[in-house]
Amino acid sequence: MFRHNIILAFRNFKRNKTSFLINLIGLSTGLTCAILIYLWVSDEINVDKFHDNNDRLYQVLQNRQFPQKIATWEITPTLLVNAIKEDLPEVEAATNISSREENPRGAFSFGEKNIIAEGIYAGENFFEVFTFPIKESENQSFLKDKNSIAISESFAQKLFSTTKNVIGKTIEWTRGQNKKSFRIAAIFETPPSNSTLQFDFVWNMQLLIDADEYAGKWNGDYAKTFLVLKPDANFEKFNNRFASFMNTKTDKRKKSQLFIQQFSDKYLNGKYENGKITGGRISYVWLFSIIAIFILLIACINFMNLSTAQASTKMKEIGVKKTIGADRQSLVQQFLGESILMSFLSLSVALLLVLAFLPTFNDITNKVLKFNWSFNFVITLFLITLFTGLVSGSYSAFYLSKFKPFQVLNGKQVMSFGDQWIRKGLVVFQFGLSIIFIVGVLVVQQQMEFIQTKNLGYQRDNVLNFKRPNTNKSETFLIEVKNITGVMNAGRMWGNLLSGRGTQSGYSWRGQEDDKKYSFKSPIIGYDVIETMDMKVLVGRTPSREHQEDFNKILINESARKMMQLENPVGMNIGYSDTLREIIGVVNDFNYGSMHHKIEPLIFRVTTRGNNILVKIKAGEEQTAISKLEEVFQKFHPSFPFEYSFVDDDYQALYEAESRVATLSKYFSGLAIVISCLGLFGLAMFTSERRKKEIGIRKVLGSSVFEIVKMLTSDFTKTVFAAILISLPISFFIAKKWLENFAYNITLTWWLFFVPAILVLIIAWLTIGLQTIKAARVNPVQSLKDE
Amino acid sequence: MIQLRNLERYYKSGFQKSWVLKGINLDVKQGEFITIMGDSGAGKSTLLQIIGMLDAANKGEYNFFDEEVHRFNEKKRTELYKHYIGFVFQAYHLIDDLTVYENIETPLIYRGIKSKERKPMVAELLDRFNIVAKKDLFPDQLSGGQQQLVGLARAIIGKPKLLLADEPTGNLHTKQGEEIMQLFKELHNEGMTIIQVTHSEKNAQYGDRIVHLEDGYVREDKNVNELLERN
Repeated sequence: MFRHNIILAFRNFKRNKTSFLINLIGLSTGLTCAILIYLWVSDEINVDKFHDNNDRLYQVLQNRQFPQKIATWEITPTLLVNAIKEDLPEVEAATNISSREENPRGAFSFGEKNIIAEGIYAGENFFEVFTFPIKESENQSFLKDKNSIAISESFAQKLFSTTKNVIGKTIEWTRGQNKKSFRIAAIFETPPSNSTLQFDFVWNMQLLIDADEYAGKWNGDYAKTFLVLKPDANFEKFNNRFASFMNTKTDKRKKSQLFIQQFSDKYLNGKYENGKITGGRISYVWLFSIIAIFILLIACINFMNLSTAQASTKMKEIGVKKTIGADRQSLVQQFLGESILMSFLSLSVALLLVLAFLPTFNDITNKVLKFNWSFNFVITLFLITLFTGLVSGSYSAFYLSKFKPFQVLNGKQVMSFGDQWIRKGLVVFQFGLSIIFIVGVLVVQQQMEFIQTKNLGYQRDNVLNFKRPNTNKSETFLIEVKNITGVMNAGRMWGNLLSGRGTQSGYSWRGQEDDKKYSFKSPIIGYDVIETMDMKVLVGRTPSREHQEDFNKILINESARKMMQLENPVGMNIGYSDTLREIIGVVNDFNYGSMHHKIEPLIFRVTTRGNNILVKIKAGEEQTAISKLEEVFQKFHPSFPFEYSFVDDDYQALYEAESRVATLSKYFSGLAIVISCLGLFGLAMFTSERRKKEIGIRKVLGSSVFEIVKMLTSDFTKTVFAAILISLPISFFIAKKWLENFAYNITLTWWLFFVPAILVLIIAWLTIGLQTIKAARVNPVQSLKDE
Repeated sequence: MIQLRNLERYYKSGFQKSWVLKGINLDVKQGEFITIMGDSGAGKSTLLQIIGMLDAANKGEYNFFDEEVHRFNEKKRTELYKHYIGFVFQAYHLIDDLTVYENIETPLIYRGIKSKERKPMVAELLDRFNIVAKKDLFPDQLSGGQQQLVGLARAIIGKPKLLLADEPTGNLHTKQGEEIMQLFKELHNEGMTIIQVTHSEKNAQYGDRIVHLEDGYVREDKNVNELLERN
């Protein structure tokens, strides 16, 4: 029976080459999308899951109450970890690492060789809590020694060109004016790409505590804290008890509540609103999974539609088979077998396509996805394909096999009203999805363009950004940079304008204790930054060399002025800890950080140093200016590489996730439309085939080619219109939801919906037009004589 | 072998019933060769289908080898049908995608007969009908007569007790028709029960009993010999 069905299936493919090709192209494209997305999704959901303790490994997070809102931070005091270990019996192990801002960076040298690396400060149990396998180490407690360092294999490879015999060697570290020697005490496997913790080396946490007076206090947040719960510990109970844990240790953190989140869950669910987890990247995982399923469904629908179109010929076969003893079950088996065979054939084509497109897909998604013929992968492929086959064949299998043989053989069976509806419904579904995809693409593109052209409150064009390894001769360096031809201005600051980092509270402008609760964004800038970035000063002045300004002077932005309700802020002294700080100016609001966030009240602190250099270059002179800049840089920092970026590029990078979505959705919606059109093409072909006789009769009766084309087209047009009507409100809703991710977004205008609708209609017309014109032009003598 | 009692078949359109068959009583003994005749729309084909268990009556009794077919559901009917009945059609109704050999083989597959046992059975029939040379051809490569030979071979490969034929020669020209009818006669002589529907008086002569239908009633049911005598 099985062999028999296979033979029948293959002969059927051979006989109906067009529908075979349409199905093969449709299903293999659909499967290709599904496999690519599957690879991406499975990579995403496995991030950070490789730690042995994964199930019980949690990160401590802090909810901080401000008058404006609750902010959720992942940074905590360094003291927390020991308190947890001592006081909480449910905890099996705990460790901490430095927060990202505090991470140690700098240059390491061994002999003549220099490399720049970024590491972490870590608590003693770091390598027991996390699974970063140690390849070699001096002793068990290497992290206890403040003079030792653990390095990654790639660090060793870069500095020594080998990973062998490096234990015990001493290397020099330099950053700014700081210098120190470290003995290599351990070498660990380089963190894998699916780890969110990426670091080249590990230092003892005590070094951070020694270096910063607040780092070892309860009111300073310098570390990320992690803990492993005992297997029998109850997560809910623990979390409830844990909330006020810090308050039992200190009275300085009354506004802070703690909670724990599974560490590997944080990658996908890392967005918090008002102290609650509200999703994060998980929404893209869902989005693409749904897209994959829909694209597959569209391909399956093609298959179903083509089989209904061929139903009349199929039905004869069914009738005959029933009269020679086939029961319904064997027919169901035959049809499902045929569609499953078809989808496995498509799978082989799809696998080739995936292999061909994987490098491009990796570029777009910025991943290193590979085929990994694991049991899970093979099973998933098998299941996806089986599912596709079952869905595709379900119509023929369960609907067509139902007919009574004699009705079929005598040609009495006509398509019922309901069947027509099913078929049209399927086409509506396909085109509805295509329209939603196109609207999605347009909206994403528009928003991306809006982001690129929106006035941020500063000019980011032709501004170069680079970091100095130290701040030696800060002023001389800046003067030399400014003297380069093509350089229009240059300034220095700590950090940069795009990070959005740095929040302070504790300012008091009315002399009220209440003031101190309000939080401000608090970047630190040096001279000429405001000028270089072309920010608008509303009142007052910018920091200047004549005034020898230091940390005591501040500028505020317009939002801060409004929040503080100050009429004439310039010249005012406002309190911060024990000092008074003079407001010297008010700048116009600008986007500090990405556009995902609203502009917040901001205080510019002023510094005379700063390792981050911003250089405005005259348009057209970038090349020469950059090479001159490099010369200057090399003069001050020999043996350090000159690594720069344009602020504009960095700005684009903030919207990396969105622009990846934009690119991907473009491809996927393109494919969805192509597959839908393939189906429509097939459907049009079979419809005109089936109505050949009717067309002939109409022509004999005097109908013109145009009228026949109109007749054949109007049916499809109505279907596409129905798709438009149904899909537009849905796409409006989805677009609105997505735009809510941005604090500043485009308004949804009519043409964003009108264009896709018209586009789909035109594409549909073009697809069926050719077929119907061909059918309408056939000489009626030909079509009426066969029978 | 077959007993039909007060068989009725009607179609409902709105509140109106239109009868195709009404009050049919018929007895068929094993080994008989019966011809059903009548004008178009007399209900011949419907009667054949009901006997063939491909359709069911609305009312009345149908006993087949003492089994009460009228009480069976579709699944059970198919089961009975599969083992006892072969069908031959006017339009041959071969499966286009299968070769001659495979077409003949198919009923055996549905009966779950093993490949090893199928081979000699198919070979025997190919031989008997002189179509060994055509065994790898597809239906559209055959003449009408050859197609009907395949159709007949397919109908009898399962050694059915009852062979039903719906105008088996209707699409054939005279000589081919005679060939087919000759085969029916041979099968009849070997003891097979045959019921055929035909318009052709000549074909009716091959059988031994003629049932005349008119507007869904049995108008006449006579032996061929009686009729011959009457003429």
